[in-house]
Amino acid sequence: MTIHRMKKPLSCNPLKISQPLGGILAMQGIFRSMPILHGAQGCTSFAKTLLTRHFREPIAVQTTALQEMDVIFDADLNLEKALETVLTKHRPDVIGVLSTALTEASGTDYGAKVKKFKREHNLKNHLIVTSSLPDFRGSLESGYSAMVESIIDGLLEQSNRKTYKLLKNQINLLPGSFLTAGDVMEIKEMIGAFGFDVITLPDLSTSLAGHLMTGFSPMTRGGIPIDSARQMMRSGYTIAIGASMERPARRLHNAAGIPYRVFSGVSGLASSDEFFYFLQNLSRETVPLRYRWQRESLLDCMLDAQFNYAGISAVVALEPDHLLSVASWLEEMGVELRGLVASYETTLLEELNRDVWVGDLDDAEQLAQGADLWISNSHGKRGAKRCGAAFMAMGFPIVDELGAYTSVTVGYRGTMEQINKAGNLLIQREENAHEGSVCHR
Amino acid sequence: MEAIKKTGFTVDVNSCGKEEPKSKPCPRPKPGEAAGGCSFDGAQITLLPIADAAHLVHGPIACAGNSWETRGSLSNGPQLSSLGFTTDLGEHDIIFGGEKKLLEAIRYIADRFSPPAIFVYSTCVSALTGEDIDAVCKQASAELGLAVVPVNSPGFVGSKNLGNRLAGEALFQYVIGTEEPPLVTDCDVNLIGEYNIAGEAWDIEKLLNQTGMRLHARITGNGRFKEIAGAHRAKANMIVCSRALIGLAVKMEKKYGIPYFEGSFYGAKETSFSLRQLAYLINNREVERRVDHLVEREEMRLMRELAPYRKVLKGKKAVLYTGGVKSWSVISALQELGVKVVGVGTNKSTDSDIARISERLGEEAIYIPEGGSSRVLKAVRERKADIVIAGGRNMYMALKEQIPFLDINQERHTAYAGYEGMIRLAKQLVYAMENPVWQMVCTPAPWDRGDGYDNS
Repeated sequence: MTIHRMKKPLSCNPLKISQPLGGILAMQGIFRSMPILHGAQGCTSFAKTLLTRHFREPIAVQTTALQEMDVIFDADLNLEKALETVLTKHRPDVIGVLSTALTEASGTDYGAKVKKFKREHNLKNHLIVTSSLPDFRGSLESGYSAMVESIIDGLLEQSNRKTYKLLKNQINLLPGSFLTAGDVMEIKEMIGAFGFDVITLPDLSTSLAGHLMTGFSPMTRGGIPIDSARQMMRSGYTIAIGASMERPARRLHNAAGIPYRVFSGVSGLASSDEFFYFLQNLSRETVPLRYRWQRESLLDCMLDAQFNYAGISAVVALEPDHLLSVASWLEEMGVELRGLVASYETTLLEELNRDVWVGDLDDAEQLAQGADLWISNSHGKRGAKRCGAAFMAMGFPIVDELGAYTSVTVGYRGTMEQINKAGNLLIQREENAHEGSVCHR
Repeated sequence: MEAIKKTGFTVDVNSCGKEEPKSKPCPRPKPGEAAGGCSFDGAQITLLPIADAAHLVHGPIACAGNSWETRGSLSNGPQLSSLGFTTDLGEHDIIFGGEKKLLEAIRYIADRFSPPAIFVYSTCVSALTGEDIDAVCKQASAELGLAVVPVNSPGFVGSKNLGNRLAGEALFQYVIGTEEPPLVTDCDVNLIGEYNIAGEAWDIEKLLNQTGMRLHARITGNGRFKEIAGAHRAKANMIVCSRALIGLAVKMEKKYGIPYFEGSFYGAKETSFSLRQLAYLINNREVERRVDHLVEREEMRLMRELAPYRKVLKGKKAVLYTGGVKSWSVISALQELGVKVVGVGTNKSTDSDIARISERLGEEAIYIPEGGSSRVLKAVRERKADIVIAGGRNMYMALKEQIPFLDINQERHTAYAGYEGMIRLAKQLVYAMENPVWQMVCTPAPWDRGDGYDNS
């Protein structure tokens, strides 16, 4: 047991992002879908603004717009109205009803309401799922995985739990919330390179990576179509990335008998090796040449970069799964980890044999005194500056950087790019420190 | 001085005797198609720019965690308000009550940062479970000897606009008039509802200084707590653009006898009008003379410097969707540049805002009452508009449809106020419309062009 917490009665410069935002994010990876946030207008508007700024894409989300009197009398009346409006105006294939702290604390039975609504409106072909995502528990990561779990539950229910003969050649991919749209695309390509058909749920790579094909739509503009999501029950294997995605994977295993494997991440040499070796064994195909080349390049890059990484210490503040994934490649480069700060506590962190802090960016700042490198979301920028550490933006949200959501951090190539990026920041920092001193050349 | 007569100082005189400005109750948002923020959001917009105060949000993580550090209000001094403080209520706190935690949090902030004031915001959940933040604030204030201001504006009481008003209420009740300012002159004016987005307040302050007026209290862009606490000694109040804080101005007039008027700094005409009006209200001949001088000089300069941009912008059509507050003021700025406003959003405007819009536009424009993005797009198509001017939330809607876009809301990085801002606005409009990427993205890929490959 190695989880530490700073003693203070408040959160200063929060690292945590609310669960419903994670739920909305997961829904963006499903084509023609619409999440409805069951709460006050602000719950939706804050999340929408933040997601829009991070991804630089329109975000599909609606609200039940609860006001004081609605909460007192019948909040679910608003939900019914919202469902009706969304169905008649947009006719989405998938609707996700996400609860918030407000609806959870007031104790409305929105699940029953949705069931009744489905029955009364005879909506057999629409997938309408509910997910309980109070803000006072968990963080973005848990909200995202809970939403994926709800969607899988909904799909299983619609399939009447029929058992199919599993297709050996087809693989389910459940990417964790920390993977960028570029990462998801990269992992899809990796698995595809071994001859598999990949079904990805949710698939942010085709929705939030940006495209101009469809113009504007109030619903999601890309992602996995519901028909191919239904095919997931017949896949021969499930690959989950991130420990938080184990629950959805286990759901598929329990209901449809699909074996699964969870990877804590695909960043770093060891993790990438593990991933490719696994794919090789599963497919009985050899690792394609281009990945062998990428591995060679990574090894060379690690040797080149070691001088800049020598004696470097870092503070990393991210969501739990992301934290471990980043820590693994930093350790491979010999970086001393001054502080690992996670947004909330998970069983994975508890089982881990190392020191982890659960807290906020202010805690990170305390730990970062004298550190060289700071990795966190955009909110950490000022803190890093105060500490004099080089700042590298990762996680969510990244608002003042172009292309953060399409950058690749996985596989040999992604790892190499991360090592170079952080290394360049360290070089820059060193140059800034030397500025003004005598230069012998 | 004709502008003053025309644009409604007489109207304001009539309204002064009344308790509250007349406004229709805000229409209830429709579930499933509502857009826009909540009252908590609104309260933060108004109060967060007070840079040296700590802002503590009493609620679960979403309220502060999803919103801190997202606004473009700048401060050139203390940065305490840029830190995000929240009690981050967990399940345990909600069941057993979070008042004790709140008190401890206030003590912690006072101890570690010793700010002049702490603003404590209630949220939906803390309001629902019946946390008495007023009592906690009172106790903490007595114990710590600093201002602890409760802001009762939980998200579910209504719209963003209501939140602005409730924040104004908190300022009037707990802040304004609590301290005597060290320096008072005859030329002191307050700006109310100016949030120093992208540094607009600095441009305005420069103008005021050039005319011999002194910016007394900045409510609240780049504001300081002590300054606002002494705001009651100013000689005039100006409500900048939004009517949301007019209640505050009315109350200040009643209690402290400070005359007020509503104006804007968008566009040369409005800027000149506002400066003249301020000079008139503080009743100082010398200042009036200097304002006349400045206005003449700046308008001449603008005429000269804007000429090349006017040439490009003349006859261009714009759809404006800003959510009420800025609609009417931005319209005049655009008209001065020769841009025709062919559609305007009125979803959050009050009746008087709409009256002002129609005063400026007449019949030629479409009014987009509500319905969000798709209605805006429809207006753009129907009127063949060249550009959409809206808030960041609608930016990607326009870009996905390949329509040039200009961000006018709080997240933008360019200051548009005053004469200098006018030039920037003209530049940005030209950049937005003339950028070569618009042509590039419209060109299909070679394999989609359909003409056979030419081997030669």
